[in-house]
Amino acid sequence: MSLSKKPVGRQAPPPHLRVSGIHKRFGGVHALRGVDFEVARGEVMALVGDNGAGKSTLMKVLAGAHPASDGQFFLDEKPVSVNSPNDASDLGIQIVYQDLALCENLDVAANLSLGDEPVKSGWKFLPKLLRPLDDLEMEVKAREAIDKLQVKTLQSVQAKVGGLSGGQRQAIAIARAVGAEGTVVMLDEPTAALGVAQTRQVLDVVKRLRDTNHAVIYISHNMRDIFEVSDRICVLRHGGNVATWKTAETTPDEIVIAMTRGLDDEATNAI
Amino acid sequence: MQSEPKISFIDRLRIMRETRFGAFVPVLLALAAIWTYFGVALPVWDYMGDPTAENIRFIFLSPRNIYNLFMQSAVIATLAVGITVVLLLGDIDLSAAATAGVCAALLGVLVLSGVPGWTACLIVMGVGMIMGAAQGVLVAYVGIPSFVVTLAGLLGFQGLMQKILPTGNLNVSDPFVRGFARVLLPDAAGWALAAACVLVFAFFNVRKQNYRREKGLEVEKSIVIWGQVAFFGALMFATVATLNSYRSVPLLIVLLMTITALVGWVTTSTPYGRSIFAVGGNQESARRVGMNVKRIRVSAFAIVGLMAAIGGIFGASRFGSVSYTAFAGGSLLLESIGAAVIGGTSLFGGRGSVWNAILGALVIGSLGNGLDLSGASAADKLMFSGVILLLAVAIDAVSRSGSTSR
Repeated sequence: MSLSKKPVGRQAPPPHLRVSGIHKRFGGVHALRGVDFEVARGEVMALVGDNGAGKSTLMKVLAGAHPASDGQFFLDEKPVSVNSPNDASDLGIQIVYQDLALCENLDVAANLSLGDEPVKSGWKFLPKLLRPLDDLEMEVKAREAIDKLQVKTLQSVQAKVGGLSGGQRQAIAIARAVGAEGTVVMLDEPTAALGVAQTRQVLDVVKRLRDTNHAVIYISHNMRDIFEVSDRICVLRHGGNVATWKTAETTPDEIVIAMTRGLDDEATNAI
Repeated sequence: MQSEPKISFIDRLRIMRETRFGAFVPVLLALAAIWTYFGVALPVWDYMGDPTAENIRFIFLSPRNIYNLFMQSAVIATLAVGITVVLLLGDIDLSAAATAGVCAALLGVLVLSGVPGWTACLIVMGVGMIMGAAQGVLVAYVGIPSFVVTLAGLLGFQGLMQKILPTGNLNVSDPFVRGFARVLLPDAAGWALAAACVLVFAFFNVRKQNYRREKGLEVEKSIVIWGQVAFFGALMFATVATLNSYRSVPLLIVLLMTITALVGWVTTSTPYGRSIFAVGGNQESARRVGMNVKRIRVSAFAIVGLMAAIGGIFGASRFGSVSYTAFAGGSLLLESIGAAVIGGTSLFGGRGSVWNAILGALVIGSLGNGLDLSGASAADKLMFSGVILLLAVAIDAVSRSGSTSR
């Protein structure tokens, strides 16, 4: 592996979300040791690493679920602070957890607007919680969100989520994250439990997100998916950066070696 | 993997229950079966077996009996509507009947001591809500399973009721309280009410359909819409006709339907109701989208408390007395939970409807009434109720196991 391929450096697009020097300690465990990470709009940044490399921790720090012990956040190069999930979602950072957290007993439209249901105007005398729901508005919005992501196999937004396939559920969870004015979307192992056809569906949705100018952070173990969908690949190891590659200029083997062994000259700064 | 387009019976059942009106079908079938058996099959059987009989006597389906059936089921239905709300959350309330008992006893004592009827009713409703909410706080904030909290509530409230009514029963003769069960709507008013309900139902359906078309959403076939309207209309007018041909529509039934419509509307068409379904379906999901799960729990228990109090008032009104056995100590609790479950409300939370609870109450009521008429013993009644309840839960479990397997 030649050194020239390794860092993306100046040729990278201007980042939308950038963090630098992120440290995270859990008691005595030093889970993140000064990680730098960035993602631009209209790109899919894959985040890979072996188990315990700090991927999930970094993701939770970005989502505000775990506040960072140390480090800086920049959104469009303006310093911001993310200390709670609400901070993150106010900045447009949305996360799709592995368990999706959909309500299977509700239909697609209801799931997409859960927690922020549109209500009909003109019932001001009632408390917000008891005003009549605007079902139609809900369905129109859901339809738009689904069409934007081009989930072709979904027939009706009135279908109960309990009856959908894994890929469709993943797509709906993504649509929910994006629908809430999200600009940065983090996906945690979105294809882990899916078959071939459904994985395809989810990857198509991820590509759609890139085309609609979202910044996508894609966490996965599956090299084939990563090489199909990502623009850049960021490798973590032992809670530190190994390097970031342009996907077009690297190979799965190189990434796997970086994940497991690190790079010789980077090894010192990684530990 | 599914090469054959064959749909199994269970799949059909599942698909049917997913639709909005399909959920009514099993309980309607059960009701139809029970009514056919007691109303038609038994009399015909008796007539065939007894050559001395002059003609067939359809006692069960006589307007008089139907009227009594509605009145008998009203208290069960009131409690079942409340219990449905907590069942939607995935919780259970075992104390509803005892709460109703305490509220009814309190009502009796208050009225006896000279408090005007309507004030006493309001006080009792407030007390019921507080009793429910207190249990809700224990469930939501302290984290005790609802089964245990309400079991404790059941025991405690039974004791409380005995404290309030040391003699075990008390006559209630206040005209306001008695009025709920005694006041009858004039025949014409009953018809007008039915017509108004059908018109409103049709109006909302058609308007919704037009909005959907305007916004370019999926529209249901108009035959489905008009079929629903026709079905609803037939049901309404048949009910009013039957009740009118004995006495007329009692105020109690109108009140029950109004309250149920209100609770039904809140649970299906408001953000609050949506949050109840969301918590019942996936609590974690509800929490992540920012719903206050604990407060929702407490409020749902407050609703059961309120419904139990209303049930207590209705019961006191109908019986003209408050007795320990009619509420806390009798079979009211199990009948009302049974009614909710037979109606198709899932014990696992997230699925069900208050209207189904009304139908479930009718099933339970019809069963008791029919067995009474055919001279069955109390033992038979209990065993029959057990079988019906088991069947209902089995349908729930089967249709659920199908929908969660991925």
